[in-house]
Amino acid sequence: MLLGAFAAFVVALNTQSVYWGLISGILAGLIIALIFGYLVIYLKTNQIVTGLGITLFGIGITSLLFRVIFGSTFPVVSEITSKTDIPYFSEIPYIRSIFSLHIITYISFALLPSAWWVLYKTNFGLNVRAVGENPIAADAHGVNVYRTRYVTLLIEGLLAGLGGAFLSICDLSFFVNNMTQGRGFIAIAIIMLSKWNPSRIFYGALLFGIFTSLTFGLQILGLNIPREFILMLPYIVIIVLLCVLARNTRLPGAFCKPYERE
Amino acid sequence: MGQLVKIRENLKTVAGPAFAILAALIIGGIILILIGSNPLRVYSEIFTLGMGTYLGITESLKRMVPLLIISAGLIIVFKTGIWNIGGNGQFLIGAILVGGIAPLLVNKFPLYVFFLISSLIGFLGGALWISIPAVLKAKYEINEIIVTMMMDFVAIYFTSYLVKYPLNALPGQFPQTTVIPMEKRLPFIPFTEIHIGLIVGFIVVILAHFFIRKTTLGYEFRFLGENKKAAFYAGVNISKVTIIAMLISGGCAGLAGTNDVLGIKGTFQAEWNPSYSFSAIPLVFLARFNGIALIPLAYFFSFLDIGGEFMSRSANVPVYFVQVIKALMLIFLGVGEYFQKIGKRFWKL
Repeated sequence: MLLGAFAAFVVALNTQSVYWGLISGILAGLIIALIFGYLVIYLKTNQIVTGLGITLFGIGITSLLFRVIFGSTFPVVSEITSKTDIPYFSEIPYIRSIFSLHIITYISFALLPSAWWVLYKTNFGLNVRAVGENPIAADAHGVNVYRTRYVTLLIEGLLAGLGGAFLSICDLSFFVNNMTQGRGFIAIAIIMLSKWNPSRIFYGALLFGIFTSLTFGLQILGLNIPREFILMLPYIVIIVLLCVLARNTRLPGAFCKPYERE
Repeated sequence: MGQLVKIRENLKTVAGPAFAILAALIIGGIILILIGSNPLRVYSEIFTLGMGTYLGITESLKRMVPLLIISAGLIIVFKTGIWNIGGNGQFLIGAILVGGIAPLLVNKFPLYVFFLISSLIGFLGGALWISIPAVLKAKYEINEIIVTMMMDFVAIYFTSYLVKYPLNALPGQFPQTTVIPMEKRLPFIPFTEIHIGLIVGFIVVILAHFFIRKTTLGYEFRFLGENKKAAFYAGVNISKVTIIAMLISGGCAGLAGTNDVLGIKGTFQAEWNPSYSFSAIPLVFLARFNGIALIPLAYFFSFLDIGGEFMSRSANVPVYFVQVIKALMLIFLGVGEYFQKIGKRFWKL
C-alpha cells in the first residue's frame, strides 16, 4: 500500500494526471503482491515473517527513494482532482457533499458488494473459500490451489496499491514517510471485526473513517483536548471494537498455512 | 567422525542466515546502483566508519544494548509462538516512565539502588503496555499482531502528549523530561566509553537463552509454541503461559527504554522513536532464536546502523538504506530455508 502510494505520487507528480498515478499505484501493488506470492506460495516461506519483511522493506525503500528523488522538499500534487459530481444529486443542499466525492470512493463502495458476490455466488468464490478452509480437499476436487491463491493475492495487491494511490494523490495530495500509518493492519482488523462478512466491513470502515475525520473535526473545533489524544482515538476504537466484536473469531481453516502437494 | 558431523550440522544452520545476509547485501547493492551510487564505495564506507574507527566501534557497542535487551524478550515470545510487533511502543512507554520518574528519585537513593528501581520502572512500563494485548490474546483469542501494532500508534501519541504537557521540564523550549545529570547516569565499563548497559544486555540475552532451553517453565513455553493442542492436553496452562511470555517480552522492551534514558540520552525527548524493535525482529529470526548466536549478529546490526548513519553524511545515501537491507534479510531468510530444503532432497536422490 505504501509502495502504491509512493509510486502513484511520483508518477502523478510527473505526469500531472490522476489516472496515470492511480494506474502506477496499482502496478506497484501488483508487483509486490507477485513477489510476496512467489515467496509464500511457491517457496512456502512463513507468511507473517515474509509479510513483515515486505512491510519493513516498503517503509524503508519509499523513505529512501523519497529522499533521493526529492531531497528534503515536500512537493504537492495540486490542481488535479478527480472529484466527480453526480448530476442532480450534487445540487441537493446539505447532503451535497456526499454526491461529490472522488471517483475512487464510489468504486470502493461498489467493491464490497462485488466482493460478496464473487465470494459467495461464483464458482471462483467457492474455490477461494474451499482453498482457504481445506486446500487438500479442494485439490482433490480439481481446484488449482496455487493458482487460486495467486489470483486472490493479485487482487489484494491491486486493491492495496489503489488504496495507497488514493491516499497519496486524491486524499492528501502529498507523500510523507510511512504515511499509511498502519492502515493495512487496520484493514485486517476491520475484517476481523466484521468476521469475514463483506457487508459488515462497510460499517467497520465507515466507523474508522468517522473517527479519523473526527480527528480533523475536533481539532478545528478547538476543543480543549490535547491533539495527541484525538490522534490516538481511531486506534483505541479499533482495539475496543476488537474486544467487543471479535472474541474467538473463527479463522479460515488453512489461514496462513502454506500448501504442499503430496 | 562424530565431531565432523557436528561441524557439518553447524555449518548448515549458519548457511541460511549467511545466505540471507549476502543476498540482502547484493540486492541492496543493485538498489544503490539504481539510485546512482557506487555500492562498493557505500559498503566500504559503512565498514570503515562503523568498524574501523574508535568512535564507530564505541557507538556500535552502545547501539547493541537496546537490540540485545529487546531481542531477549522477543526470543522468549517468538519461541512461545506468539507475535509482538509493538516493541517500539513498549520501549517508548518504558522510556517515558523512567524519564518522568527517575529525576524525582535520583537524589533519594544510593546510585545503584536508583538504577535498580529505574530498571524495574522501565520493565513494568513495557509490561503494562503489552498487558492489554496479552490479556486479549489469552482470554479472547484476539490476534496479537494487530493489537500490538495498534498499541504502537497509541504509545507514540501518548508519550508525545506526556512529554509535551505534564512531564515537560522546560515549557516553551523543545519538549523533554528533566535531564539526569551526567554523574548519575550509568557508569562506563573501565577503560572504555561504553556504559554498563552492555553487560546487562549480555546477561539478559544469555538468561533468556537458557531460560527458554533449560528450565521447566521455558519448556512449557516451547511446548506451546510447537504444538498448542498437545500442550493443552498435556496440562499446560495456556493463558498463563501466553500472558507471562508476552509480559516478559514487553518488559524487556521497556527495560531497553530505561537503558537509553539512563545510559545514553539522560532524558526523553519529543519526536523520539528509534524503532529498535524493527531491527530486533529480523535480528532474532536471523539468529534462529539462539541467544548466543544473537550476540555477534547484534553487533553486526548495530555496526550497520552506525556505519549507515555516518555513511549517510559522507556518501549522501539516506540512512533508510540500512532499514531496506534489514528487511531484505528477513525476506531472504525464508528463501534460504527453501533452498536448503530443496538441497536436502537433491542430495538424497
